[in-house]
Order: sequence, then C-alpha cells, then structure tokens
Amino acid sequence: MAGVSVFDRWRDPSEKALGFMLLAPAFALLALIVAYPIGRLIWNSFFDLRLSGGGGIKFVGLENYLLVFQDPDFWNATKNTVLITLITVPGALIIGLGLALLANLPFKRKWPVRLALLLPWALPLAFAGLIFAWFFHTEYGVVNDVVRRATSGAGGQTEPTMWLLRPGWAFTAICMTIVWKTSSFMALILLAGLQMIPKSLYEAAEVDGASKWQQFWQITIPMLTPSIIVALIFRTITALQTFDIPYTMTKGGPGNSTETLAMLIHKTTIDYLDVGYGSTLAVCMFVLSLFVTAFYLKRIGKNA
Amino acid sequence: MNSIFDSRSLRFIAAAMVVVNGFFPALWILLTSLKTEAELVSKPITYLPHQPTLANYVQAFTDQPLLKYLGNSLAVALSATAFSLLVSALAAYAIARLNLRRRQLILTCIVASSMFPLVTLLVPIFETMRTLGLLNSYTALVLPYIVLNLPVCTLVLVSFFQSIPKDLENAAMIDGCTRMGALLRVVVPLAAPGVFTAGILAFVNSWDEFLLALSLNSNPNFRTLPVGITLYQGEFTFPWPIISAALIVAIVPIAVLIAIFQERVVGGLTQGGLKG
Amino acid sequence: MIRRSTFTALASAVALMAGLASSSAALAQQTTLRVFSGGANQRPDLMRKLFDQYQAKNPNVKVEIETGGATSELQRQYLSTVLNAKDPAIDIYLIDIVNPAQYYGAGWLEPLDAYVGKPAEAFKAYLPVYLSSNVIDGKVAAMPAFADAMFMYYRKDLLDKHGVKEPKTWDELSAAASKIQRAEANPNLQGLSIQGAPIEGAVCTFLLPYWGQGKDFNDANGKLTLDKAAATKGLSQWLAMVDAGVIKRNVAEVKTPDTVNEFKAGQVVFAINWGFAWDRFKDDPDSKVQGKVGVMPLPAVADGKSATCVGGWQWAVSAFSKNKAAAAGLVKHLASAESSKFLAVEGSLLATYPGVYTDVDVVKNVPWFKDAANVVIAGRSRPMSKDYGQVSDIIRTTTSAVLARTKTPAEGVAEIESRLTRVMR
Repeated sequence: MAGVSVFDRWRDPSEKALGFMLLAPAFALLALIVAYPIGRLIWNSFFDLRLSGGGGIKFVGLENYLLVFQDPDFWNATKNTVLITLITVPGALIIGLGLALLANLPFKRKWPVRLALLLPWALPLAFAGLIFAWFFHTEYGVVNDVVRRATSGAGGQTEPTMWLLRPGWAFTAICMTIVWKTSSFMALILLAGLQMIPKSLYEAAEVDGASKWQQFWQITIPMLTPSIIVALIFRTITALQTFDIPYTMTKGGPGNSTETLAMLIHKTTIDYLDVGYGSTLAVCMFVLSLFVTAFYLKRIGKNA
Repeated sequence: MNSIFDSRSLRFIAAAMVVVNGFFPALWILLTSLKTEAELVSKPITYLPHQPTLANYVQAFTDQPLLKYLGNSLAVALSATAFSLLVSALAAYAIARLNLRRRQLILTCIVASSMFPLVTLLVPIFETMRTLGLLNSYTALVLPYIVLNLPVCTLVLVSFFQSIPKDLENAAMIDGCTRMGALLRVVVPLAAPGVFTAGILAFVNSWDEFLLALSLNSNPNFRTLPVGITLYQGEFTFPWPIISAALIVAIVPIAVLIAIFQERVVGGLTQGGLKG
Repeated sequence: MIRRSTFTALASAVALMAGLASSSAALAQQTTLRVFSGGANQRPDLMRKLFDQYQAKNPNVKVEIETGGATSELQRQYLSTVLNAKDPAIDIYLIDIVNPAQYYGAGWLEPLDAYVGKPAEAFKAYLPVYLSSNVIDGKVAAMPAFADAMFMYYRKDLLDKHGVKEPKTWDELSAAASKIQRAEANPNLQGLSIQGAPIEGAVCTFLLPYWGQGKDFNDANGKLTLDKAAATKGLSQWLAMVDAGVIKRNVAEVKTPDTVNEFKAGQVVFAINWGFAWDRFKDDPDSKVQGKVGVMPLPAVADGKSATCVGGWQWAVSAFSKNKAAAAGLVKHLASAESSKFLAVEGSLLATYPGVYTDVDVVKNVPWFKDAANVVIAGRSRPMSKDYGQVSDIIRTTTSAVLARTKTPAEGVAEIESRLTRVMR
C-alpha cells in the first residue's frame, strides 16, 4: 500500500494537526465570546468616552493611563485589593489544605465532612456577602451576640463592636468571609490532588521509619505542588477581582477604606458611565493579574 | 494512610469544626426561613424561631416562579458543565501531552481570558448575543459560561493529565489504540478525580453566575435562580425570611449533587494508586 | 327610473366605502410596546391595570411588562448594559426621579416635547418639583408616574402620653425624643431613626438639615453652590444627636428597611422614611404600632425652613425604541391625572398632581394624603446633574463615613466640595 490515505491521516494525525483540532473548540469559543469584548475594552481605554457627556468620543492616547497613575482612588483601591490578596490567598490555602486533609481521613460516615467542605462553595457569592454582613451586624449579628454571651459572665458590659463601621474591623470581617467562602474551592482542588498520591509511597515511607510530619513534608507537599499551583493561580486571579463580598458587606465603606479595584471599575463603568476610564482601569487590572500569575504559569508549563 | 491527626478525639473535634464552619450559615438561613420578619429585629437576637412558619416558602413560590428559575438554572448549569468539560479536556490534553511549540502561550491565553473583570465585557457580549439572536435562551448563557469555566477547568485538567505517566498511554497505543482512543480509555479514567473536580467547579460557577444571567436572560421564562432571588427585594424592602426560603431552595439541589458525587471526587477510582 | 339607479349607485358606493374602511382598520398595525416597570415596590400589578385600561381604549396596542432588577442599583446595572448596547427591545422605562438627567445626558431618552408640549405647559398641572427634575437641556425627558417624599413619622401615642407637642425644629425634636426616651426607660427605644448606610437615602440624610437652613446645593444651571459652614453644621447636628443617645451609635449601618422594621416593632419614637412606610405601619399584621402613628413635615433648623427630599418614579421613552409615537401615547395616559388618582386610591402611591390630594374619593380612601400633601408639594429635588451617579456616590459615601465617625464633619464637607467642584461645574 503506497502512502498514507486521507482517512489514515484523519484517524492518526500528526501532532500539530491533532493539537489544532483539540484546541479549536476552545479558541473558537474564546474568539466568539471574549475576543471582541477584550479588543474593544483595550480600544476604549485610549479614548475619553463619558456617556454623561452625551456620548461624544475623543481620542486621548495614553492620557487615561496617566490619569490613572495620578488618581488617589486608584491607588487606594489597588492597595486594598493587594492587601486582600496577600491575606486571603495564603489564608485560603492553609485552611483549604487543612480541610482537604481532614476530608481525606477515614471517617465512618464521610459525607457530613465533605458536604460541610463544599457547602460554602454552593452558597451564591452575593448572598454569602449579605449573610456575613448580617453576622457582623452591630445589633443583629451572631458574632456580637456570641461575644456578649461569652463576656456577660465576666461582668463586662462592653459596647458591641461596630464591625463594619471601623475600617480595620470591616477589612478583617471581609477577609474572614472571603477565606470562608474560598477555602472550599482550594480544598476541592487539593483533595482531588491528594487522591492522586499513590498510597504505596506512604507505605514505603512507613517501612523506612519516617514520622507523620516527615511524610507530610516529603511526600504530601511535593506531590501536591501541581495542585497547589493550580489552586493558587485561580485564587489569586479571583482575589485581584474581589467584588461581591466587599460590595455587599460595606459597599466600600466606611469612606472607601474597603473599596477594591473591581469595585472602582464597576462604579466607574456603571454609575459614572465613564466607559473610557473604566476600560483603562480594567486593562491595568489585567496587567496586574498577568504580572502576578506569570511565574505560576511558567511552573505549570515547565512541569510537562 | 497519610494522617497528621492521630488520636481519634482530635480528629473528631477537627471534623466537628469543619462541619460547623460549613453548615452554620446554611443552618442560619434555614432557621431564618422559618421566622417572621418582625422576629428579626427582636433584641437579643433569637436563634430558633419562636413560632416556626412555612408561610415564607409558600410566598417564595407564589411571589415568583421559583421552580421555573430552578429548572432554568439546572438546565444551563448542566449543559455548561458538560460542554465545559468536553472543550477543556480536549484543550488540556493538547497542552499536557502534545509537544506543541507555543504551549506556554496557549495556556496563558486561556488563563488570561479570566483576568478581565466581567462587568467591563458585559456590553459587547450582550451585543454579540443580540446580533446572533440568542438573547433570552439557554444558549446565551451556556456559551459564555463555557468560556468562563475554560481557564479553571483546563488548568485543573492539565495538571492532572501531567501527573499521569506517559507510559500508560504508550502502552495502550502499542496495543493498537489511537491517540484519541488512549485519551478516552486511559487518561480520562485515571484523571477522574480531576475530571469530577473540574466538573463541580464548572457546575457551581455556572449555577452562581449573576451578571450575565441578569443582562442576557431578563425574560422570566429564562431567568436563572441567582437573579430570581434578588427579585424578592424591593427598593425599600429586604424580606430576609422569604429570601432565605428561596436560598434554601437554591442550595438543596447543589447539596444533594455534592453529596452524591463527593465519593467520586474524593475517593473511589484511584484508591489503589497508580501502578508506579 | 333614474332615481332607482342613482339610489343603487349610492348604495353600492356606500357599501364599497364601508368595506374599504373596515378592511383598512383590519390592516392597521398591531403595535407591541414593552415596558420596563421596575421592581416589586413600583407595583407592577397596578401598572398592569393601567396598561389594560389603555389597551381597552386602543385595541391595536399591546403592552408587555419587563422586569430586570428589583432595586435601583440592580436596575442601573441592567439598564446600563442594555442602553449602552442601544437595545431597541424596550420602549418605555420606569426610572427613579434622580435618573432622567443622567440618562438623557447619555442620549438614552427621547425628548417628549413633540408629544406633551414644551416643559412649561407640560408640567403646569403637576407638582412643581418636576420642572427641575424632569426637564433637561430645556426638553421634557420624562413624565411623572408617582411621587414620593421623605416624611417624619412619629408615635402619636407616646407624644400624647408625655405631653409633648409636634416639634417644629430639629432642636425641639431632639429634646422631645430625649424626654420620651428617659421617661419610658426602655434601653431599646430609639429617639430618631435616620438612614446612614451609603445608600441613595443617605444623600437625603445629608441634604435635609442643609436645606433646613434655607441653603441651596446648586444653582439653576447645576453649578455647585455649597455653603460649607451650613453643611458642616448639618452633619454635626446628626452627630450631636448620636452623642445625646437620640440616634443610635451604629446609624451608619441603618438602611431604609431597618428603620421601618424597627419602628413597626415599637422601638422608635421619630422616624424619617419614604411614603410607602405609612401603609406598612398601618396594615402589616405584625405591626405593633397600628393606629399609633402620625406624620408631619420635617422639622426645620432654627430660623430655617422645613424641607424634604422628593422621590418617586418617572416614565421615559427609550431613544432607541422603534415605536416612539405609540410609546409616547401610552406615557401620556400613564402620567394623566386619572392614572395618578387610580394609583393613589388603589396603591396609596403619592400623586403627582396637587389636585388629586384634595379629590373627594382620594381623601375618603387614603385620608393620610391630607397630611402628606403639604410635605410633598414643598419637597425639593436632589441635584439634577448629568453626572448624578458620581454626585450621589460622593455625597452618600462621605455622609456615611462621617456618621460612622471615620471622618469629622469638616473633613467630610471639604471632601464633598473638592470632589464635586470638578463634577458640578
């Protein structure tokens, strides 16, 4: 039989052709849904496009970007966003890891722990924010009620903390809520990773006399690293885009002490109808996200 | 068995903490759904309802077509999950297994699409859907949801595919499988926890999504649950008891799904580990 | 003989014309108008009845309702997307009184002058506030649907019990509230409940004591004319009441429903809130204050005037609608005196015509309109700026921060001034 027929090539194509076929659906969808919006976003960022001015559009080049760097609101929002990221990403990782290890244990009835693990993820994000805002409410919140019951015995009738009205406390409350909500996302990914670790490795280590701690650091963590990186990438990207929880808990208040970059973008685009500047802010957020996750992505690429 | 917590009681306490942590807000919502609005301003706050009532559930279903919203959400989320997994698995295999030159760039492109806040992409997406005549349909949401889920699912699957030794596939191909056959018969089953994880992530993301559902499917016949639940409030009213009832209706299907599939995600198929 | 044929000719001519007329009526287009009519608090059920009335009189028009967001905030989100995309699907929008300026400025609303006349005549019969809130760039941007205002509700029974008269100034109110609180010795009894959370209502919280000193926030051209000393005094007044225990410490957490629920539970002496609250206090089965509630105009600052914030909703025609004339016809019906009276009697929605308040049927069905009338008619509109989104955000965020004591009144006012000077030029 001479040569390779078309049919054979179809059934066992070259790597490049196969790669193309496999990636086509994903890229077709990306092109259809987000390529044009992202393109338009970047395009808009070079214009002064404020709908309140009647929709007139004026090319301003990089002026919007210059305005951004001089904008105290931008720096405030970026500071808050970075702070939230630095606190909640490791926080969610550590707690998520703990939750995953716990869920992996041999309990007689496994489903309560696993369901408890995933239920925070199941609660719609905007409502999670509202519920926790309620928990932290000065008068009607569970947190202050528990504190009151715990300290009433000790005789101190201290004024209840106004959680969401003090910048520091509000920030804490928001971070706690975010960690609560997202640690189950982390736990889910880490749990699946834990399941992929061959038991034989532990058995061998046991035989060699390694302690549980040693097993943890020398088997579990290294084997889990790819999953940890994946979890970290997405936790970081979403942390940089934190919106729903601070928005529903404090609306960025008091003042703008809890306003994040995503909230600023939302406000600029939807409330101020300043599409040009909002686009500029969005591009800045993209660059920030890319920069932060770049080195994570390199590690995934290398691992193959 | 990898276990840091040796003693039984320590494990139990830890488990109890996890259960309280996960269930408490849901429990609070459940209790609230049985109270009246007046009880919510009583001081000190009450935990158990003084006079439990199911009136809120009745109102939740009569004020809005909650079952229809539930149906819509299920349809959209299930389709989006299925297609997300399909598209991501194909892309992930290409990235993880094939020796493509621009692998890094491809992966970065896919992940980068999630780095733009959705609110800024809303208007063009709306225009696209309107041009295609897809507004107020399941498709209008499923297509963007696949794109929203693509980064997470692809990355999760890439990392899981990478952890499966190539020898297994090579063995299968020596035995006469094509690459696609090897993918379906060897890789995917072994990466099952990853597949189920990606599936649950995609499902919950699609279930919860609000902005696109609000803008693209405003017709009540196609409205999804997150948007529907916000409609119980008014400009001046926020009826927590009724909203809580609706939230319980929204959470229960997911909780049930999770309870059923948690075995698959957490245990089961790779119990024995790989032959390595 | 000639007569008979003439008769026949005439008869057939008439028959022919009748035939033509009926077939052309049948050929007349069915127009479907889609109306975005807000959320639950905007009574889509009553609006539906108004639409049905219109459909009955105009059989070739069909009206469909769209909902897309329950609160002003969510509606803004939805409308911002849809209008930004120039969507022609919706013909008529029901928008908040603060929105016409912004939406018209963005080119989203069709001027209605051609259909309702020039602003002066169009709004002649209505409450005076609409001349400033609905007229943008000299054009009619929206027609009134129903009105609203912030009222001072109070516990008539408690005032009578302790021999306190209706306070006319804020100082009198503070003293009256303190007196009652001390006499009742109930730690949960609040003297006055206002909204301090960063919601739209907080803009009113800022403006009420400011206007109460007889000051203006902006001139007729929309330029900022902020009297800093008066603004600082206004905010300090609230804080003084917090210090005196009249207003609760966590006032910056209080939203509109909180005030209503707490007043209903009997925990508040004086409360500022919108008109919808009256029916809630009177009719809700779990209301502990039925029959005990009075309503009065807002107090003035000493030597000032009583002033209140006007709210309410407006009908506007989309600039992208394909049925503008038909839509304008429907809007005229919806903004008519008959419709206003219907909404008043059926839904207790405050009327947009002063005349309706004294109408016999209305007075019989909603007696409190008698007291409400003076308040609404004297109401003032919030700053009507094309950048209202920004204006509102700055005022409400800063006011809330001052009430949360993260900024002093002086700092807050300085910030409002510096940010708004740029915006309200």
